Amino acid sequence: MKKSIYTFLFLNTFFLLPAQSVEFDKNNFLTRKDEFKDAMRKYEAGLIFYTEGRKDFDDFRRSFIMNKKYFPISLFDYRHSGDQSFRNAITPLTDANRFNARSVKLNYMLGFSWFVTSPLSKETIHYLETAYALQDNSGETDVAYWLAWAYHLNSRWDDAIKYYEEHLTHLQKRAKANALAIEDVNKKIAECHSGKTLSAKPERVFVDNLGENVNSHFPEYSPSITADEGTIFFTSRRPNGGKRDVNDNGYFEDVYSSAKEKGKWQAAKSLGKLINTDGHDATAGLSPDGTKLFLYRSTPTDGGDIYQSELLGSEWRTPVHLNKNINTKFREMSVSMSFDGKRLYFISDRQIGGFGGNDIYYCDMDAATGDWGIAKNLGAEINTKYDEEAVFMHPDGKTMYFSSKGYNSMGGYDVFKSTLVNGKWSAPVNLGYPINGPDDDVYFVVSGSGNRAYFASAKPGGFGDHDLYKITFLGPEKSPLLSTQDQLLAMVANPVSDLKTQSAVEVKSAKLTILKGLIYEEGEKKKPLESSIELIDNEKNVVLATFKSNSSTGKYLVTLPSGKNYGLVVKNEGYLFHSENFDLPDSTDFQEFNLDIALKKIEVGSIIILKNIFFDSGKSTIRSESANELARLVKLLKDNPSLKIEISSHTDNIGSDDYNMKLSNERSKSVVDYLIGHSVPATRLVAKGYGETRPVESNDTAEGRQNNRRTEFKILEK
Amino acid sequence: MIRPLFISLFVFTAITLKSQDTVKVAATLTPDQQAEQDYNKGLAALNNSDYNTAIDLFSKCLAQKTDFDKAFINRAVAFTKMKRYNEAMSDINLVIKLQPENAELYFYRSLIFMGLAQRDSQNVMLDYCLKLNAGHAEAAYYKGLLAYEDKNLDGAIRFFSMAAGSKPDYVYAYNDRGSVKRAKGDYAGAAADYEKALLIDNSYAFIHNNLGSAYRSAKNYKKALAAYSKALELNPNYLIALNNRGTAHFENNDLKSAEQDFEEVLKQDPNNSSAYNNLCSIAIKNQDYAKAKELASKAIQLDTKNGAAYYNRGIARQMLREEDECCADWKKAVELGVDGAKIFINTSCLN
Repeated sequence: MKKSIYTFLFLNTFFLLPAQSVEFDKNNFLTRKDEFKDAMRKYEAGLIFYTEGRKDFDDFRRSFIMNKKYFPISLFDYRHSGDQSFRNAITPLTDANRFNARSVKLNYMLGFSWFVTSPLSKETIHYLETAYALQDNSGETDVAYWLAWAYHLNSRWDDAIKYYEEHLTHLQKRAKANALAIEDVNKKIAECHSGKTLSAKPERVFVDNLGENVNSHFPEYSPSITADEGTIFFTSRRPNGGKRDVNDNGYFEDVYSSAKEKGKWQAAKSLGKLINTDGHDATAGLSPDGTKLFLYRSTPTDGGDIYQSELLGSEWRTPVHLNKNINTKFREMSVSMSFDGKRLYFISDRQIGGFGGNDIYYCDMDAATGDWGIAKNLGAEINTKYDEEAVFMHPDGKTMYFSSKGYNSMGGYDVFKSTLVNGKWSAPVNLGYPINGPDDDVYFVVSGSGNRAYFASAKPGGFGDHDLYKITFLGPEKSPLLSTQDQLLAMVANPVSDLKTQSAVEVKSAKLTILKGLIYEEGEKKKPLESSIELIDNEKNVVLATFKSNSSTGKYLVTLPSGKNYGLVVKNEGYLFHSENFDLPDSTDFQEFNLDIALKKIEVGSIIILKNIFFDSGKSTIRSESANELARLVKLLKDNPSLKIEISSHTDNIGSDDYNMKLSNERSKSVVDYLIGHSVPATRLVAKGYGETRPVESNDTAEGRQNNRRTEFKILEK
Repeated sequence: MIRPLFISLFVFTAITLKSQDTVKVAATLTPDQQAEQDYNKGLAALNNSDYNTAIDLFSKCLAQKTDFDKAFINRAVAFTKMKRYNEAMSDINLVIKLQPENAELYFYRSLIFMGLAQRDSQNVMLDYCLKLNAGHAEAAYYKGLLAYEDKNLDGAIRFFSMAAGSKPDYVYAYNDRGSVKRAKGDYAGAAADYEKALLIDNSYAFIHNNLGSAYRSAKNYKKALAAYSKALELNPNYLIALNNRGTAHFENNDLKSAEQDFEEVLKQDPNNSSAYNNLCSIAIKNQDYAKAKELASKAIQLDTKNGAAYYNRGIARQMLREEDECCADWKKAVELGVDGAKIFINTSCLN
């Protein structure tokens, strides 16, 4: 009989009142006193941890709201507030829940703890759903909000909207007092609508883990990549000396790099003790040529600052703290350098001149001081009242990628793209799903070709925590090409095949040329040379940028955005300069050249082609674009007063022999006249026209003919 | 260069009709009558494709009657059939000396130049023919063909219109004008011209096929399918129309019917590369890339010049992550005239 009463009570508790909460009150468990005591101990232990965590969480939220005037947008904003306490709470609360799974409060605490520590877990949804189902007027008032957010993070857009709207109804009862909370929920509803729209038309991409040579079961994130995707730099919290940060018990951040050889990433290497200190050292950016690395370090007083290290041979130099125009008492992070090294974009949360939260700023190189000038906010076209993060300026000089919590984000940070058109930034475009999702999508860097990107994600299937991934953009779906034939013309026997593909398919690539190779001394040994590489805008006759080849390997990498006629000059003391010309109209698509350059010593017999001397077509009039090249020649002759040289001009085989000989004679004389006009004694100069008699390539192709049309100089006496 | 399918048809028809008017039979033969008899025998031989005999008989005829212009012309026809163009030209030249204002002779001369692959001279002769007789439908038609070959689509339309204007039942002129309009993207105009051609003579399967393709280009799949089906009704072995009908089904998202048509093509011609490529297209649409690759490979095996199959195999290989092979296929497709693959090479085949 007694047993049947217990059974009745049990059933009454768990089945007859399924939507009613059963709280941890001894009166609710009169028949299970011992079990209740044990469960209550677990409950209370968990409650202590939970309360600690929740206090940290709520305190952080209050200060965030006070500071920013809006609610935290993403879990990233909470900076793991209360994280460890919530982790500690989960085990005892779960034990308590085994005894009594019908407590709205317990389910709420469990759901919330899981939400903060592992928002995508099925436990988060389960406990919050249960809490929601059990809640009554005495229960938690915001369970719908957290449940909505959990759905949101799991891309359950419609469910999320439903519960956000329910919470909104609750908030609107005291609309004035809840103004910021209402704004927060409305934003999250908008994010869900955006997510629903964008995920309905996913971008076609391959997403590949970079593999075990790069990733570990510790967190890897914040990748930076050279324009040619030859080397990747990233932050990892793997053991590297064994020290841990007491705040989160994780290993300190260090910077690693991996080089790609034959298409495979090699084992990642720590960048050494000058870069990786005992504290946190994180990647903040990289120059497109991979010779300047930017680091993020923080001390208790500086708010977090940016440092720069340069590659000397195979060693990274001691990082230098960037000047006060960049680093302030506020937090500066995430840097991107323009292709010419003359502008630095960075993120700062400085509270002067910003639009709210983290904004993107830039500094231009001051030509007079050689240091970074006054920082300027990038403006309202890009920056929002919410945070911007992880700026990446593509080496094409026109395309900026950055993360923002504003615009049509799907939730938290999304990656956006904006293009510089006629000096104005275009409206940022969300890169879409699955590049972006409902959680935070940050630290996104794009290859020079524009067809691949690298990012960090904690998605399932990796090596553990955050891993680095590569995205390959496939562009719009490629329609197959069917074989159709028609006998179009009655008199033509053979049917004609239609080989036209559907014109809708368009894949955009970056308008960029990557030039890379080695610079070495001419000769059998091919001794690598650290040389300066000047990039010249031939139309404006200005040096756009100066780079250096690596001192130990001679390697160099230069990125040339389309839209200019470039002169490229390699200089090294004791050697003749070497010049190249790249005429890259706006329409030039992405291309990559390997060009090894052998510098010649200043010796009798050495011949150099002056690729940046231009004449009017069919005439001997020197065009203004030649000024830089001629100035270099004048300087060479003045620096080496004993040199006697022959200036020779050559043509292709178009036109008669006589015409070509006459033209080349006149052109060489024009150059000599120019040099004489710039105080080079005529006795040191010989003008010679060879017409078409000395081709360097076949005249059968346009390229060959172009290379045959040239001006050279040869050292006759030293 | 346009290769004339029916080069001899006009010559043959024109001369035969004229000669039929002059056939006479006499009991006692004068030299002229003997010449006439040899001429008629020569025509019969020409009609029987016995060109050597025809040449002998026309030569015999001309030995007796040296100013017998029709014998010269038909011997020229026989020489042309034997690809003895220089001798043909010599005969036509002789007649032109006799009848310098006869536009028809310049048209014949243009055809011989076409046989000699002397395009410019062919063009000059056609112009002269039209100068002498602006209403010469065949000359205008051939001018249209040359303009089309030069990608002068507006010029081609003008000449085909001239031809149709001079000869309102000129089926080929309407068909070809329709094809030029289609090349210009004027699908409605193309369909209207094909319809006109078929109104004159409904028995041409290839024109029904062209009509189907015009409607398919205009995305009017109902009419396209009807036209292709009519072409197949007229010629059940017309595999081009069957493949095209499958394509119309495919574009109309009726993959099942498309597959049936392509399979039927293969049933009739197991070595039909186009059908394999089209089945590959279905596999791509179904995202069965392994199967698509296999089918495209088969299409390529059967026809190494099938650019569409290389293009499609490239798509399949990209999705199968065979990046190097995918790029090799797209490069080959470009070589074979599929310009649409260039953008993929530029954007996916670097590094």
